[in-house]
Amino acid sequence: MAAAKNIDELSPAHKQVASHLQGKFGKRLLETSSFRGDLTYVVSPQDWLEVLTYCRDAEELRFDRLDSLLGNHFPEREDQPFEVIAHLVSIPHTTRIRIKTRLAEGETLPTVTGVWPSASFDERETWEMFGVVFEGHPNLTRLLTVPDFDGYPLRKDFPLQGRVGGRIRWNFKGEI
Amino acid sequence: MGIADPRDPRQIRDLTSALRTPSNVEVQKALEAEEDHIPGVTVTTLDKVLNFGSTVSYWPLLFGLACCAFEMMAMAGPRWDISRFGMEAMRASPRQADGMIISGWVSIKMAPRVIRLYEQIPDPKWVVVMGSCATSGNIWNTYNVVQGIDALLPVDVYIPGCPPRPEALWQGLEMIRRRIREGRHGYDNMRTIPVRAALGE
Ligand code: SF4
Repeated sequence: MAAAKNIDELSPAHKQVASHLQGKFGKRLLETSSFRGDLTYVVSPQDWLEVLTYCRDAEELRFDRLDSLLGNHFPEREDQPFEVIAHLVSIPHTTRIRIKTRLAEGETLPTVTGVWPSASFDERETWEMFGVVFEGHPNLTRLLTVPDFDGYPLRKDFPLQGRVGGRIRWNFKGEI
Repeated sequence: MGIADPRDPRQIRDLTSALRTPSNVEVQKALEAEEDHIPGVTVTTLDKVLNFGSTVSYWPLLFGLACCAFEMMAMAGPRWDISRFGMEAMRASPRQADGMIISGWVSIKMAPRVIRLYEQIPDPKWVVVMGSCATSGNIWNTYNVVQGIDALLPVDVYIPGCPPRPEALWQGLEMIRRRIREGRHGYDNMRTIPVRAALGE
């Protein structure tokens, strides 16, 4: 019987990605982990745009698709409660990678809409749900909630029940 | 001209009126008092004819909101097949629809659009509310879900379930057909529809 494959082991393509990124950025990758063969790197907010642009442009990486960009909130981390996560996919190399960054309350992040235009909706959602501001975004307006909504609903301290913040807009002329 | 009734020779029945064409005035009177029978004329009202027509051609608006919409699609598909009742022609334009099936939860951002679609459907219209979400908000007592669409629109039939089986939707549509036959609408006893009251119109 063949030995069961270790699902946490990196594939050769992912090993190449890991060694390339570590050779390029070294200590600027604050943390590394891998889960079920997917790599995760944590970078600082200052390196966010540079690392992501490099991931798209370097010949060996070619992460030409931004799968999704989302936020997360960890209230127990006092100094940096917010996390922004980018999932990248490389279609030519069939690899994927996660890049994370951690933010303090009120800290901003440069937009990556210039790198992948599809980041626009994701960044708008992250801003409306967590209050993370993306500097340089061409149209940072509310996407899923009403325009005059008050509060950031996916923060852990947002009340689960009740109609907090939202209300039905009656006057929707010019909104459709 | 008259003939004797064999059962009661004293009573002479005059059949002259039965054998001639009724005058317009008589037809009018017969229509007003429906029990009066004039041979050769089926007495009904235009409303009844139209209502009978509507029962076999209730066209819902082609409009799905959330997970319940999949059961609605199953209902339109070949397995449950609402085309047996003339409902398969789901109209993509509210101007051609007879009513709407609100299939799923209505977010606060979506509510004005739902209201606008409802208002664009010509009268008479019948609204089916499908599933717990549209009925009461279900478990989503949260910041972005309307807690029951009946706060905004007059509703004819509520179908419970999460989601209701297509059979349940079928029964709801049967109830709609009955209401159409009887000429009853959700807004019959309302002075104004709730959303207009909220708007202050
Ligand atoms: S009632 Fe259930 S199935 Fe229907 S929209 Fe709500 S959650 Fe979805």
